[in-house]
Order: sequence, then structure tokens, then C-alpha cells
Amino acid sequence: MRPYWGLLRMSTRRILTYRLNSLILWIGGATFLAGSLAVWHALLSQGEIGGYDWDQMKAYLLIGWATGAIGSAYGDWWMAGRILEGHVATDLTKPLDYQWARFSEHMGGLATEFIAITIAATAIVTFTGGLVVPGPAQALLFAASFLLVAPLKFAIAYITTMACFWTQNFMGVSWAKDAIVTLFSGALIPLALLPAWLAGPAAVLPFASITATPAALYLGQATGWEALRLLAVQAAWVLVLWWGARLVFRRALRALTVHGG
Amino acid sequence: MRRTLRIYRRSLGAHLRAVLEYEADFWILVVAGLLFQVLNLIFLSAVFSHVPALNGWSFPEAVLLAGTYGFVNGLGPLFFEGTWRLAGKINHGELDYPLIRPAPVLVQVVSAGIGMHGVGDLIGGGAMIGYGLANSDIAWSPARIGGALLLLAASATILLSLIVLGNAASFWVGGNHPVFAMTLIRTGDMAKYPLSIYGVAVRATFTVLVPYAFISFFPASWLLGKESAWIGLLTPLVAVYCVYLARLIFRQGLRRYDSAGH
Repeated sequence: MRPYWGLLRMSTRRILTYRLNSLILWIGGATFLAGSLAVWHALLSQGEIGGYDWDQMKAYLLIGWATGAIGSAYGDWWMAGRILEGHVATDLTKPLDYQWARFSEHMGGLATEFIAITIAATAIVTFTGGLVVPGPAQALLFAASFLLVAPLKFAIAYITTMACFWTQNFMGVSWAKDAIVTLFSGALIPLALLPAWLAGPAAVLPFASITATPAALYLGQATGWEALRLLAVQAAWVLVLWWGARLVFRRALRALTVHGG
Repeated sequence: MRRTLRIYRRSLGAHLRAVLEYEADFWILVVAGLLFQVLNLIFLSAVFSHVPALNGWSFPEAVLLAGTYGFVNGLGPLFFEGTWRLAGKINHGELDYPLIRPAPVLVQVVSAGIGMHGVGDLIGGGAMIGYGLANSDIAWSPARIGGALLLLAASATILLSLIVLGNAASFWVGGNHPVFAMTLIRTGDMAKYPLSIYGVAVRATFTVLVPYAFISFFPASWLLGKESAWIGLLTPLVAVYCVYLARLIFRQGLRRYDSAGH
């Protein structure tokens, strides 16, 4: 356990070393959130759309942004870089489980991410006049599902970086992943507003568990058994992707080529 | 000038040949670029299936606006991709090489790479422009066609200047990644939508401080004959100003460069 804890702390420190960099990136994230708030404010000025009024949409956008921010500080780029530059060879010689080690590093970003999310939430409450607050039961369900977002996003990012064992160019893979996740998680637009031919796949893919599930629990769109079902689906995806990643990793190692020594 | 252009073309050509060696990567990047334009289109069509207009902009007009922004954004990766590697070069002290070669440093920096996702942006953005133009009510005349092309060229110049300007900030910010440029260009994504939906502060900022609005909103407004359309005609002037500013800041930054000290 201790080495993993050490990796987590090291990852936090690495992020904090480039403070100005992190700060500028978060300012960029904040303008993105402010931009989507402005767009939806204009869209909802004539009345609600698809069951979302301004108050609910504010909460939805915040949750969409927050779930997007989880795991962004560490990022799949760092993991990909280790593979592309061949450092993965040294990582493999360490007496650690490769996946758990990367997961620990991933979690190291959470500290800064949670700070940024709290600041964003406070700013929205201050500047746009409040935020809908769920009852205690829904809040608890939301908290549970929000915590599950971290391992879920890690598993998806981890599997994506495995592509680096076959391709030299991670940028395209990463962007394609981002585009797909943005669309099918509900971060682009609530899934209920998507046309049927996209809503269908969105319902069966794991990505809806990233944004749509926490949002539905927070806004009280899913209660009782339905809420528990969503939570169970989310947990199931975490497990499936976690073990699926191990299978992919085993295949990927066979494709590993490291030049020089 | 001709020599500089030749160096730019040769350098870019070398990188193009290098990139095309990896065929799978090429297709992945093109598809990724295209996917982002498709996302914009899905967002707009989903929204407009519930509302008739966005602040007086109809669906085809909004598609034209987003398409213009996407199209112009595709030119960056294709012609100025090397600029994004400036931060890494400064961080690793690799700017030494361009500095001792007998060619303008900026040209060498700008042409030190090519991003094939630009092709996807051009295809996606171009298709959206085509759809928007075909379904909008525009009184075409030779002057209008010439004006539209001029404004498109000017808006591309503005965006490319902003890319140089943002990346030149790496001389001051430090670090391996061009975070300032990423934030600068990502904020510009707000210009995909009609500027009039934003508050006064954003409108003023996007018009005067960082002229994102001249990349797509004002040129499109001029073409569609929207309110205060004449501002669109200022786009070439803004472009000249941006080029001047980008050059100035890049040169100031270059003076600060002190290599890596091996």
C-alpha cells in the first residue's frame, strides 16, 4: 500500500510544481464553463427546453464541467508519454502492479481538481443567484456516484493510452476519445435532448455513467430503485473496464518495442 | 521574401512527408478533427430542434457561423502547427538550432510541424459553411463574393496571429506545455456562437481586447446583413493589427530566451 500512496503524493507534487501552468489551465476551464452558461442562458430565456429550466441547467452544466475536470490534472497524456518514450520499460521493472500504480498517480490530481470544482461551484452560486440543492437521500446518492466517476474515467483513459503500444501518435486517439466521451456522457448536451439515433447508443455505452448519472441523481430525475439501478450500472462499468483494461494490457505488452538501452 | 516563403514551404513539406509515413495516424487525426466539427453540428441541431432561433440567428445561419470558426481553425494545424511546439523547444533549449540557421526564426518555428486533424476541420467546417450559405438568404453579387473571401482571409490571419501570440507567451510562462496559448485559443471557442448572446463584458472583451469576434461573428454578420454589419468590414484592419502585435511579442520574447544551460 505504501508505495502506491507515495506515487499519489508524488503526482500531486508534480502538478503543484508548475503552479502557474495549472492556474492558467484552470482559468481556461473556467471560461469554458462561463461560456456554456452564457449559451444556455440565452437558449433558455424563452422558456424551458426538454424539461430543463435555467436553475436545473445551471446545476447540470456545473456537474458536467466537474465530472470533466476529474482526472484532467494528471491526464492520459502523461501516461501516454511514458509509453511512447519507452520509460514504460523502467516502470515495468518496478515491483508494483502497473495498473494500480497509474491509478495512484491519477488520484494524485484529485486534490487540485476538488479545489477547482469547489471554487467553480461557489462562483456559480455567487454570480448567478443560487443553485438547486437536492434532499439528503439524493445528495448521498449523488456523492456516491460522483466518487465512482474518478475510477471510471481512469479506466477509460487507461484503456485509451494502451493504443500507444501500437500507434506513435496519441493526439488523434486522445481527441477521438474526448469527442466520443463528450457526446455520449451528456457533457455536450443532456442525453434527453439528443436525437433518437444517438440517444440509443448513449444508453448502452459506459460513458453515460460519467455525467448523465451523477446529474440525474443530483437533480432528482432518478429516485428510489431507479437511482440505485443507475448506481449499480455505474459500479458494474467500473469493474468491467478495470478488468477489461488488464486484458488489453496483457495483449499490449506483446506489442511493446523499446529501442536502445 | 521569396526565399523565406521557399524555406517555409520546404520545411512544411518535409514534415508533411514525415507525417504521411504513418498512414494509420493520418486517418486517426483526420477522423478526430472531423468528429469535433460533427459534435458542433449535433449540438446545434439538437438545440434548434427545440428553439426556432438563437438571438435572431436561424439554424442555417448558426451553422454558417460555427462552420466558419471550424474552417478557420483547421488552417492552424495545417500551416502553423510548429508554433505549438515552441514551449517545448524553449524548455529543452532546442531553440538554439533555429537561432543559428540563416533563416527567420519565426518561419522556422511556425513550419516545424503539421497537424493532419486540420484536414478534418476543413472538411467539416467547409461542409457546414456550404450548408449555411445554401440555406441562408444572401443577395449575392461579385462585390459580396470578393468581400466574403477577403474577410475569410482576414479572419484566418487573425487566428493564426493569435496562435503565434499565445505561444510566444511561453517565453515568459515557462513549462513544457503551451498552456497560455491553449487557454487563449480555447476561450475563442465561445465565438462559435452569436456574440450577441453574451453579456456586455464578454462582448467588449471579444471585440476590443482579444478580437475573437472578428474570426467568425463580425464577418458572418456582414455577409448575412445582420445588425451593425459594417463592423465586419473592419476585419482586415484588425488582422493587420494582430500580425503586428504577434511579431512584436514574439521578438520581445526571443530576446528573453537564454537556452537551457547544459
